[in-house]
Amino acid sequence: MSVRHGLLALLSRGPRYGYQLRAEFEASTATTWPLNIGQVYTTLSRLERDGLVSRDDQGGQDEQGRVRYAITAEGRDELDRWFAKPVSRADRPRNELVIKLAMAVTTPGVDVAAVIRAQRSATMRSLQELTRALRTLDASTEAAQRLVVDSMIFHAEAEQRWLDHCEAVLARPSEENP
Amino acid sequence: MTETRPPDRLPAPDGEPVVRMTGVVRVHGEGTGAVHALRRVSLDVAAGELVAVMGPSGSGKSTLLNLAGGLDRPTEGSVVLEGRELRDLSPKQLAELRRRSAGYVFQDLNLIPSLTVAENVALPRELDGVRTARARAEATAVLEEVGLADLGDRFPDDLSGGQRQRAAIARALVGRRRLLLADEPTGALDTRGGDEIIQVLRQRADAGAAVLLVTHEPRYAAWADRVVFLKDGRVVDSSAAGMETAR
Ligand SMILES: Nc1ncnc2c1ncn2[C@@H]1O[C@H](COP(=O)(O)OP(=O)(O)OP(=O)(O)O)[C@@H](O)[C@H]1O
Ligand SMILES: [Mg+2]
Repeated sequence: MSVRHGLLALLSRGPRYGYQLRAEFEASTATTWPLNIGQVYTTLSRLERDGLVSRDDQGGQDEQGRVRYAITAEGRDELDRWFAKPVSRADRPRNELVIKLAMAVTTPGVDVAAVIRAQRSATMRSLQELTRALRTLDASTEAAQRLVVDSMIFHAEAEQRWLDHCEAVLARPSEENP
Repeated sequence: MTETRPPDRLPAPDGEPVVRMTGVVRVHGEGTGAVHALRRVSLDVAAGELVAVMGPSGSGKSTLLNLAGGLDRPTEGSVVLEGRELRDLSPKQLAELRRRSAGYVFQDLNLIPSLTVAENVALPRELDGVRTARARAEATAVLEEVGLADLGDRFPDDLSGGQRQRAAIARALVGRRRLLLADEPTGALDTRGGDEIIQVLRQRADAGAAVLLVTHEPRYAAWADRVVFLKDGRVVDSSAAGMETAR
């Protein structure tokens, strides 16, 4: 997802200062997506340029001269479109692990099984850590944060399954690697 | 929850693992048909520890679990359960030790169809010599723990697959054995049901039981303090959780 749409979603709840947007963004993504304040202001100025947010005249500036932003009607339309449209797989960043394994399989002299084993242990360790993190979230934790950690668990789990699959496929003799 | 824990079971005697397997080999059959299910596997499970075993089908996971609980004997190597070398025990002594020490959830569940769920769950306690009324009360308590409070009077065949699975887990939990062995206990459960069961096993480990769990599911293995990967009867890898160990 883009930071752009994340900020629009937060602004749809009411006008906010940049520092508030940053704090709320991080809180709702369980701090898995840290933002620096510079990124927030850069994004806000692009949104403003595109007419999706405007400086909030009512709120004006706070005592430190900071500006409050509000979503515009066009901004709401854009946000609705974003929620309505599924995320395309092609929009997501390429997966380094997939590239690494593909290269390991085709590069002579690389012990693919060892690459898989090392990755599997590492992925299992992060899965164990995520699970521990989830266990320590108390009941009052916001659903949004839980769901973010859940998502990371499902991803790590999928990676683990895929690694098992790779191991099984590569263990099977074929014409290419008898 | 009712306090039914017999004082002689928990906690562990100082530092000794509840089960210690050393150089364990298990060969099924003989001659050309011999299957090497385990090849020199060593594994300890301490009190308070949850250890998960993963690995492809046929890699020896169930064999390992059966050996750890004294349901099967190694071809070579040593299995020490609660300080007793299993090789030195007569069949009768072995049966007594495993009944007293271990709770099992079998891959095929093994519930007795002619007994109700509550009777199935109470059975291990009746075999312990506990009076029927008390065995029933304990069964009720663990059935509640696994979310089957209302189904104790049903027969196993009248339950869904997931409910049957919970009943088998309740039977393993009753009486608070020092060692819990669970072979794919989340098999027929959806992720929420599976999460609940794994939490129950985790709580038992945190309360001092040694838990050995076989699973194909990375998400459940991740609840363990240690994950052991088996392949062709060998331990190929193991991953311990974070810096702070559970002990
Ligand atoms: N009683 C037996 N007689 C002969 N071979 C056996 C016996 N029990 C198990 N085996 C063999 O030993 C190997 C290990 O079996 P085991 O049941 O331990 O595998 P597993 O890892 O639990 O597999 P799964 O994930 O399918 O349950 C397999 O090749 C199996 O066929
Ligand atoms: Mg098995």
